[in-house]
Amino acid sequence: MKDVDRSTPHLIGQGALVLLLAIMAVLAFFPFLYMFLLSFTNSDSLYLHFRDITLDLHNYRAVFDRINFATPLKNSMLVAVVTCLLNCVLCAMAAYGIEKKRFAGSKAVFAIYLATLAVPGQVTMIPVFLMMRDLGLMNSYLALVLPSCDAFGVFLIKQFMGSVPDALLEAADIDGAGEVYKFSRIVVPLIMPALVSLTVFTFISSWNNFLWPLVICTDSSMHTLTVALSLLKGRFETNYGLVMAGSTMTFMFPFVLYICLQKQFVEGIALSGIKG
Amino acid sequence: MSAKQKNNLWGWLFVLPSFAVLLVFIAFPIVRSFYLSLTDYNVLKPPSFVGFKNYVSAFKDPFVQASFRNTFQYVLTTVPIQTILSMIVAAIIAMRFQNRYGRFVKGCMFIPVISSSVLVGTLFTLLFDSTKGVVNSAISLVGIAPVNWLGQKSTALLTVCIATIWKNVGYFLVIFYAGIMDIPMSYYEAAEVDGASKLQQFFSITLPCLKPITYLVVTLGIIWSFQAFDMVYAMTQGGPGKSTYTMVYTIYNAAFREYRMGYACTVALVLFVFILVVNNIQKLFLGRE
Repeated sequence: MKDVDRSTPHLIGQGALVLLLAIMAVLAFFPFLYMFLLSFTNSDSLYLHFRDITLDLHNYRAVFDRINFATPLKNSMLVAVVTCLLNCVLCAMAAYGIEKKRFAGSKAVFAIYLATLAVPGQVTMIPVFLMMRDLGLMNSYLALVLPSCDAFGVFLIKQFMGSVPDALLEAADIDGAGEVYKFSRIVVPLIMPALVSLTVFTFISSWNNFLWPLVICTDSSMHTLTVALSLLKGRFETNYGLVMAGSTMTFMFPFVLYICLQKQFVEGIALSGIKG
Repeated sequence: MSAKQKNNLWGWLFVLPSFAVLLVFIAFPIVRSFYLSLTDYNVLKPPSFVGFKNYVSAFKDPFVQASFRNTFQYVLTTVPIQTILSMIVAAIIAMRFQNRYGRFVKGCMFIPVISSSVLVGTLFTLLFDSTKGVVNSAISLVGIAPVNWLGQKSTALLTVCIATIWKNVGYFLVIFYAGIMDIPMSYYEAAEVDGASKLQQFFSITLPCLKPITYLVVTLGIIWSFQAFDMVYAMTQGGPGKSTYTMVYTIYNAAFREYRMGYACTVALVLFVFILVVNNIQKLFLGRE
């Protein structure tokens, strides 16, 4: 397809397409730029006058001092990291058990994993909420972390298990290696790319999760960033600079990660399409 | 213990932790959900059995009816636009801009995907503000009178739809782009030899080859519409009136504001059935894979 067409109509067409894509990119990015710039303004106006933009961080200071954004920031971070670790360990173990052990009943077990993929979180939310409440686990990290583990990761990593050669595991058996050694020293390094994709996907889902943290954590010391942001918006509706500073705070981490790990992000999140 | 038994035991040991999580947090809750849907349960008193009363009330509930209507409109607005838009942009990038510029545009359009719906809702509430919003200032430049986007019944849902489309297009773009890259180059080369234009190539090669992916994108778009909550919570809280109520918003209200747990479970199960149906329509068209 590397045709070198330099005719005028072609160049005009090419120019129009360049412009169209530029418009799409600007439309996608503009709201974030607006958010960022507005968080540095002093006024309660939505008009963005460049003379209003100051380089001082008073809105960010206010977000921390007046509404203690540090707590939800810490909570979101902790929950996201622990969820990622737990999800990776549990899913990798299950995928290894199903794909490499092929034990009696492993097919049926995998069928159950697949079936649970079709169940939306909103359907299980109420019984899980009642269970957590009965166990006295409302407003706990455990309640925020545990229900986020699902079968999607098992499905994802099982696809990847094929790249672990059986011969390698058999050789380890002959050398007398234990199961734990085989799993942690041979399998885990080989499935690293799948684990990275799963981590990215889990991190973003956990960080952006809203409904579950909203219902299970009623105490403000346990709020996550998304919940804190929705409260901030409700309380300081017209203090736009402040709301935008809070918004920028919630967005910073995923954004910086995205810039650093763009490829893994796009792959990890695109893979989740299978999840639907 | 024989080698085979030992193998089975280790297999189960590896599976057990995540399997236990699934049983406790997904399988058991579905069963309990069904039981609760047959009861009245207000959290304070133990559940009392009422048969299918909740199901009858669910279909008579004006909020559920409004949710259905809104979800239907939401699907009809978001799904066609986000599907067609993302497909066209993916095709343009794949056919003409497999270079740094194409990657840059894709990268920019993916940023909304990684942000939370609450954040997107917050941003769009400001952008579509009735008096001082950027959108109203922009349309006033071409002489259109300011619109009270989120404050009136006729445009509130549309505004939520716009925010949704804006957030989703980058995601579907990536899926379509990967799909186009999987189409063998030889098809296009053959078409080139036969003198087909790029537009003809798009309609006779790209579009048919993308059929399975298009089904996936449409199905996901519909399922996400059924599950819409965060954006609505951040932008309109279901209002004005019932004009932006969704199924999940109804569930949330019933369970966590009115403490009608049994009734909320009923609506949740109805939602579940709808999602299963949508999922299986896709399988019907594509065959099981």
